[in-house]
Amino acid sequence: MAMNMNLYSRGDKIFAIAVSILIGLFTVATLYPFIYIAAVSFSGGFAAAAGKVVLTPIDTTLAAYKYVLSQPKFWMSYLNTFIYTIGGTITSLLIIIPGAYALSRPQLIGRRFWNLFVAFTLWFNAGLIPFFLNMRDLNLLDSYIGIIIGFAVNAFNLILLRNFFESLPQSFEEAARMDGANDFQILWKVYIPLSKPAIATITLFCIVSRWNGFFWAMVLLQSEEKIPLQVFLRHTIAFLSDDQEFTATLSTQPYSVESVTGAIIVCSIIPVLIVYPFIQKYFEKGILLGGVKE
Amino acid sequence: MSNVLINKVVKSYGRLEVVHGIDLDIAPQEFVVLVGPSGCGKSTTLRMIAGLEEITDGTISIDDRVVNRVAPKDRDVAMVFQNYALYPHLNVADNIAFGLRIRKESKEHIAESVKEVGEILGLTPYLDRRPANLSGGQRQRVAMGRAIVRRPKVFLFDEPLSNLDAKLRTQMRAEIKRLHKRLGATSVYVTHDQVEAMTLADRIVVMNGGIIEQIGTPMELFMNPANTFVAGFIGSPPMNQLRGNVHKTADGTKVKVHDVLFDLPGSLAVEEGQEVVVGVRPEHMALTASADSFEIPISLDLVEPLGSEALLHASIGEEPIIIKAETHGDIAHLSGVSKVYAPASLVKVFDAKTGLAINEQASS
Repeated sequence: MAMNMNLYSRGDKIFAIAVSILIGLFTVATLYPFIYIAAVSFSGGFAAAAGKVVLTPIDTTLAAYKYVLSQPKFWMSYLNTFIYTIGGTITSLLIIIPGAYALSRPQLIGRRFWNLFVAFTLWFNAGLIPFFLNMRDLNLLDSYIGIIIGFAVNAFNLILLRNFFESLPQSFEEAARMDGANDFQILWKVYIPLSKPAIATITLFCIVSRWNGFFWAMVLLQSEEKIPLQVFLRHTIAFLSDDQEFTATLSTQPYSVESVTGAIIVCSIIPVLIVYPFIQKYFEKGILLGGVKE
Repeated sequence: MSNVLINKVVKSYGRLEVVHGIDLDIAPQEFVVLVGPSGCGKSTTLRMIAGLEEITDGTISIDDRVVNRVAPKDRDVAMVFQNYALYPHLNVADNIAFGLRIRKESKEHIAESVKEVGEILGLTPYLDRRPANLSGGQRQRVAMGRAIVRRPKVFLFDEPLSNLDAKLRTQMRAEIKRLHKRLGATSVYVTHDQVEAMTLADRIVVMNGGIIEQIGTPMELFMNPANTFVAGFIGSPPMNQLRGNVHKTADGTKVKVHDVLFDLPGSLAVEEGQEVVVGVRPEHMALTASADSFEIPISLDLVEPLGSEALLHASIGEEPIIIKAETHGDIAHLSGVSKVYAPASLVKVFDAKTGLAINEQASS
């Protein structure tokens, strides 16, 4: 360790060691499943099926990837996931940003009521079946639009951004108002640029929850050509071993249900890994530094 | 240029009334300073002129147009905020240009105006810096640049110097005054610092508890405070206020404070035995007698040297009194002071009950 440990008391040292151990365990617990799946996806079908893979691929092969990438259904679901993620995230931001701004303004009539109205949904909701019936009655079953707008507003994200807007000094709004800006200009030219870190955070939350969105897509979508990647993955795990076309190839091809599943998972993770660094730069703090003096 | 007319303006938040019907007429090109302790309603008044607070009752007019229901952007006023409120994501040039862009001015006009304002305020080398990379004084200048670039009818300043250190404050104070001379726009300036008020104002408006205590030029307020509040607010240190009773003698009307008789100027409408407060400015007392001065025996507690002057903290009986005396480079001679002299013409008398000044009657 770089720091001079002599400056710390015994208790501090024990605390630091305990924290390091916990972080280490957490890192392993998070990272290992990923490494394991990646290793399985690159392993020969026999080793993968027999559970011999622990950390590194055995009988390394790209066969599972070749199989996955040659499946039109895989590409179809991949495209669907992109549609749900991009469409859903944009829709969410279009609703959440103005909504959070309005809820953060002291001049909003009935502000306490509206805020309570939104927060209420954090703790209580109608539940699975009423929601399903609601979607059915709105003719939103088995449709792209249903998935995109049905889950566009997330109260948690709304409140997160509202809190951030509230934390910005009121004088920014007043200064912009004196400069002649209307509400939309104030939001667009002042509050949104100042809120990049918070907006990046909720954007990432939206992207990840859309990308990994599985349950409702499974419940609401029936057509195979509309299902997202996560549902396709579930179909693979559940039904591939019963697929005679597939099982017939197992004797000649070095892949298995396990390595194909692994390959789909790895393929589904890659876009999130690519997006993350771009968004992460906005997480830096300090963008507000110097604008106002408290 | 314009004038601002405040007519019986009231501001309430729910049932709480914070400004109680004030009247103020601000002339074109005038520099008016609203001064008073915190919570006196001065900032609220300024924000009502700006349009950031609704006016509960009464009217505010700018250029003979009632603006009660006019949005801030349509009032042609600009405001400098206490915390600057610079947009952190924009550089200096964009901060200054923001209002012009919103108003869809031409690119050439914007570039020219920003350049000109940059030169006026000495910001030219910093135009592409962000606020975070500026010093406090530079940020303050950008905030002013944002206001002056639009050439508004009225400038509003909300305690603009209160976040600066003492040295910078003095410097910026002079700059604001210079700027006002150069641009000549009507200015309303809010501060709790009476030194700022005295140095900047054409006229000072002293506010307290949501009412106006007195309006006048700095020297009027200094020489003739309308009441004990103004007497105690203006001046550093403020006017000494000593409780006493009116004593009519063969030698004229006097006020007895403890056992010291204070001479009074001219003839005042006071009655024998009336409880009054006499006011004497620390700088109006001297260690040596002069033509119309009278003697005040004091018991000296403490000498505070300030350099060319020193403050003598003393008392007359129970009543504390502060005297400002010249040091002439040495304070040794001040430690033995047992009496001072005050000219009768500079003594003020206030009614002890109402606190209002009792002025000289017109000589008959």
